[in-house]
Amino acid sequence: MIYLDYSATTPVNQEVIESYVKTCQNFIGNPNSLHKLGIEANKLMKEATEQIAKLLNIKPTEIIYTSGASESNNTAIKGIAMKYQNRGKHIITTELEHSSVVAPLQYLTNLGYEVDFVRLKEDGQIDIEHLKSLLREDTILVTMASVSSELGIMQPIEEIGAILKEYPKCFFHVDMTQNLGKVPISLENIDLASFSAHKFYGMKGIGGLVKKEGILLEPLIHGGKSTTIWRSGTPALPLIVSLAKALRLSLTDLLEKQEHILKLNTYIRKELEQISGLHINSSEKAIPHILNFSVLGMKPETLQHALEVHEIYVSTQTACAKGTNPSTAVMAVTRNKEYAKSSLRISISHLTTLEEITTFVNVLKEEIEKLTLK
Amino acid sequence: MIIEISAIWCNSCLVMKKVWKSVKEEYQNIKWKSLDLDFDEAESKYQNLEKLPVLIFEKNGKEVSRLVGEKKKEEVIKWIEQNLV
Repeated sequence: MIYLDYSATTPVNQEVIESYVKTCQNFIGNPNSLHKLGIEANKLMKEATEQIAKLLNIKPTEIIYTSGASESNNTAIKGIAMKYQNRGKHIITTELEHSSVVAPLQYLTNLGYEVDFVRLKEDGQIDIEHLKSLLREDTILVTMASVSSELGIMQPIEEIGAILKEYPKCFFHVDMTQNLGKVPISLENIDLASFSAHKFYGMKGIGGLVKKEGILLEPLIHGGKSTTIWRSGTPALPLIVSLAKALRLSLTDLLEKQEHILKLNTYIRKELEQISGLHINSSEKAIPHILNFSVLGMKPETLQHALEVHEIYVSTQTACAKGTNPSTAVMAVTRNKEYAKSSLRISISHLTTLEEITTFVNVLKEEIEKLTLK
Repeated sequence: MIIEISAIWCNSCLVMKKVWKSVKEEYQNIKWKSLDLDFDEAESKYQNLEKLPVLIFEKNGKEVSRLVGEKKKEEVIKWIEQNLV
């Protein structure tokens, strides 16, 4: 089996599973209980939270645990929109966003909020001057992914954050689901940031929202104090401990992992560029972990299933989108309908080997040839 | 009547919301109805909704024309004018 869909989800690290199981077995108390078992569980939760905060260079009180990035994105976008609606109802985003950003924005549009899209340059990064021109007195939120899930394009988050600091009434939310554990970014000028553990070899069902001190939110889930007042529910201690473990492990030897992935990416690009009718949609601003390409005139699902026969797993659009719509993200960057209709994504990891990539390239070439002859 | 069909997860639909709002203000005499593909089970009422968003122009309860995908405001207006004739 050759798994090339690490941006959809990652296999859970064995050490992460062990930390989850041990916590389940040894810490049965509710961290909010006042007896000895609760106090022990609470102590472990604080230690795990402090570790996560240290790794992210934020304060422990700035972490809100959620079920994953979709909940984090919803909490950030709806939470800010509802809490600060007296300031304004204008929100800015991009056409590269995940459906868990698009859907809450649609929901807010139906409630009378106004959403504008910042233009993208040819390389897929946002046009900073256009962003500046869109900012208004009533703009309360700018929300965007640090790395787009479909194309891997990385935005200049630090630069954007610095610009938005000049607009104190406007908050900056970053969906960092696709960069955390892969490519570091500074959270210094970011107000809110979403992430999910299963994207960096953690468990499914746990993620977080970084919310800087002093920012208020209308919670999605009311119910009193949990780990914070911003998201109620019994603290999921084993998942929280496993998240701390997954984050620490993913950030270990990060440079070496990046170098390995870059080498693989360079090799794939070189090979794919030789295939007639194949266009690489991920620009040079994409992180090497993600490579999006189109094979003209070929339905992406046909090619996906042809590769699946060889137990090679790739992705069409993101796993969380549905329907047969052309990719909005590919269209937004390439401005080419044919590319948008036929895009495939491969996403690689430090676990990916050169042998796997060589096999993938060879099989891809064979299958394209076969499908072209049909 | 114009039926607009979108889906909450669809980025192109979100892009078109602002365009539609602006067009509606200019054509207040036309009745508009919004359907969500999933929540309003639009596929049980209308066929061939593979690509979104969709505008359907109806006359006397019958579909006469469709406009599919992201369009500029001028294109939506042109389509409406063609159907009003």
